[in-house]
Amino acid sequence: MVPPASYGPSAEHASARWLVAVLASVVAALVAAAVFVVWVDPFQQYHLASRFAPRFYFLHHRYINPGLARNQSYDTVVSGSSIMENTRNDAVAKACGGSAVNLSMPAMSASEQRLMLETAFAYRRVKRVIAVLDFNEFAGGVDERQDVAGPLPRYLYDRDPFNDLPYLLSWDVLLKSWRIVVGDTSERFTSDPNAAWYWGNVVRFGRTQVLRGLDLGHLNARYKQPPRTLQGMRASFDHNLLPLLRDHPEAEFDLVWPPYSILVWVDFAQRDQLDVTFAFKRYVAEVAATLPNVRITDLQAERAITHDLDRYDDIYHFDPAVNEWIVDAACRRRDRVDAGNVAAFERELRDQIAAVRTPLGLQAVVDGRTVP
Amino acid sequence: MLFNSYEYLIYFLPLTLAGFFVLGRARASFAVGALVAASLFFYGWWNPRYLPLILGSIGFNFGVGVLLRRAHAAAGGATRARALLAFGVGANLALLAVFKYADFAVGNAAALAGLPLALPHIVLPLGISFFTFTQIAYLVDVHRGRAREPSLLNYALFVSFFPHLLAGPIIHHSEMMPQFASRSNKRPQPSNVAAGLFLLAIGLVKKVCIADPLAAVVAAGFDHPESLSALAAWLAVLAYTLEIYFDFSGYTDMALGAARMFNIRLPLNFDSPYHSTGIREFWRRWHMTLSRFLREYLYVPLGGNRGGRLRTARNVLVTFLLGGLWHGAAWTFVVWGALHGAGLIVERAWERTGVRLPRSLAWALTFLFVMIAWVFFRASSLAAAGAMLGAMLGRNGGAQPWREALVHVLAPDAQTSLAASAAALTVGLVVVALKRNSNALAEDFLPTWSRGAAVAVALVWSVLQLGKVTPFLYFNF
Repeated sequence: MVPPASYGPSAEHASARWLVAVLASVVAALVAAAVFVVWVDPFQQYHLASRFAPRFYFLHHRYINPGLARNQSYDTVVSGSSIMENTRNDAVAKACGGSAVNLSMPAMSASEQRLMLETAFAYRRVKRVIAVLDFNEFAGGVDERQDVAGPLPRYLYDRDPFNDLPYLLSWDVLLKSWRIVVGDTSERFTSDPNAAWYWGNVVRFGRTQVLRGLDLGHLNARYKQPPRTLQGMRASFDHNLLPLLRDHPEAEFDLVWPPYSILVWVDFAQRDQLDVTFAFKRYVAEVAATLPNVRITDLQAERAITHDLDRYDDIYHFDPAVNEWIVDAACRRRDRVDAGNVAAFERELRDQIAAVRTPLGLQAVVDGRTVP
Repeated sequence: MLFNSYEYLIYFLPLTLAGFFVLGRARASFAVGALVAASLFFYGWWNPRYLPLILGSIGFNFGVGVLLRRAHAAAGGATRARALLAFGVGANLALLAVFKYADFAVGNAAALAGLPLALPHIVLPLGISFFTFTQIAYLVDVHRGRAREPSLLNYALFVSFFPHLLAGPIIHHSEMMPQFASRSNKRPQPSNVAAGLFLLAIGLVKKVCIADPLAAVVAAGFDHPESLSALAAWLAVLAYTLEIYFDFSGYTDMALGAARMFNIRLPLNFDSPYHSTGIREFWRRWHMTLSRFLREYLYVPLGGNRGGRLRTARNVLVTFLLGGLWHGAAWTFVVWGALHGAGLIVERAWERTGVRLPRSLAWALTFLFVMIAWVFFRASSLAAAGAMLGAMLGRNGGAQPWREALVHVLAPDAQTSLAASAAALTVGLVVVALKRNSNALAEDFLPTWSRGAAVAVALVWSVLQLGKVTPFLYFNF
């Protein structure tokens, strides 16, 4: 089947004219779309919002954070999962000095934390990283990501401008750009660069909220957290965080074990995850002891917070005052863990868990009374 | 690399096209070499680890083809040629068996024997079913004296030419090589580039604007058939009936369009299959190059319709069972193939009665049959297919108000827009019903300004649809 030879020179000429017109129109339209997106830059990939008020879109962390990492001015990074989203940059600056950016994201995996921090190090001279570690981020394989996180726009995390087309030529981004220009506020967003991901003002904290729909005998029925193995957690830590800690001796890393409510530990005990968790904490302490730029702050046995369910929205998420307290503890070097005292920290927490796992103890936490 | 990706549309296709024609002005073999290199780059984009596999397959089959020709040329070499052919075809099937069917075979063997055999979990290399079948056909054609390819470079282009490499059409050596050999085809022909762009735009719209919005709807329905009322289940299956057509025929249109830009005409693969008034006609319109392959290289060698009704029925059934299995290593595909084989046998038996159904009734029965068979093609297991069929029969309650069923199926989650799904379903039905399909439109393509405007809008709109912003999907608070 050889292409028909019936096309004459005039037909070829007409086709050529047609092609030039069509391709020119397509290229012009796409270039115009890309230029408009760059000009407005709703996810702040090329410049911080200046022509228009910034929009930190609800649950778009994975798109906007790499832009903040590239374009914001900072020397301290806060990195964590949703529990750290309520951390204000100025609170970090006040406690730790310098200037800060919060690059936390919900349901963050260890591989995403690495990618996010690598982006920050690639663009800024980072002096301090406050990395709040969530046990769940080390679940699964070394490159594991949670399904709920949605697709990761990996093209926004590198220096290659040629792979930014999904951002530059996207109807979704174009529409967001247009809405910014015309002042359409129909989407959910915040505009405070100091508290980009802050949600502490839109939810209720309190024991009623925490206990709603909770089966105290089977806490994971609601949260459906994945099981973890020590081997898997260590592999993920070694693959994702350890290279960062080693490759950036110029930066101080404050690894923080966050103050979950004591019910999280009851859940771990119910799922036979306690020993795995403590063994992992010991492993991280051993590794940190070999690295002069790494310190660990362990806030998980802070009874005044972890036993007070009124400070939580659910068994994991605490109120914004706790975020400030965490940053303060990390920077002012409280509750430091090292190879010498890691066992004591573990013993203290194990004792607390054992006390709460009794019927009287659990009821006391639920009622807001002192655990006997 | 996918046809519906930025890297293909913005970088790969324009650069390859430009390189091909620039080099073609200097020397034809340069253009062919560049096209082979570009095609291998296209193939390796997903995972370069499989490049040695396709290169080895090309080298092996070219070598067997050369030996086959020599055996035929030698006096008394017929027996040796037959042995060579058997070896060549066997090696290709073995490759397919290892990469595509190992898990299936081991899993079934373990179930039968009651042994805990570990599955090998071999990742399926892209396009292996297509480039293996293309080369089996080549070897058979060489054996039959219908094909002859002395140049490894040309043979490599025949197998690896990127428009057909990953998902067909399955091509014949005899229909492609004269086109690849033509010197005039190394020069740009604006009429072909324009018609190719037109076809590519149609395919892109089919894929991005119809198939993709329906994919989320279909996934939600087929993942949870137990939650579907009868009406909702029928809607989900109808959505899949449209999705698979627009996805596959859209991809084929893009393949034919891209090839046309290089002055190459690939064989047609779809010809309005949902207009069919019988199963046989359906298979003459659906995935036509696979039907051709199965007819020429399996059904006819098995004996075809020679040897009586029973033998014919057996040959039909074997052909369709293997055709089903070719689509995927699962019993669902075998059942799907068996259903079509059985349908064709029943249709032949009906024809012998001499009673002709009214055309509209024949169309409705065919469409219904094809739809129901798709349930097995899409379902993740036979049990899931049974659950979906049960839902269609009203097992989960059939009294859901139609508005509620529509919303339940077409907007299953917050990420799926009811309007986009409903529009895709409606437009899909209208397009399927149209008399002229993309092939017909491209065949008598004229570069009018109205078509130019339509193509420009379609391309811009489709490209803008490729980049979806998907936020974190679940909010715990």
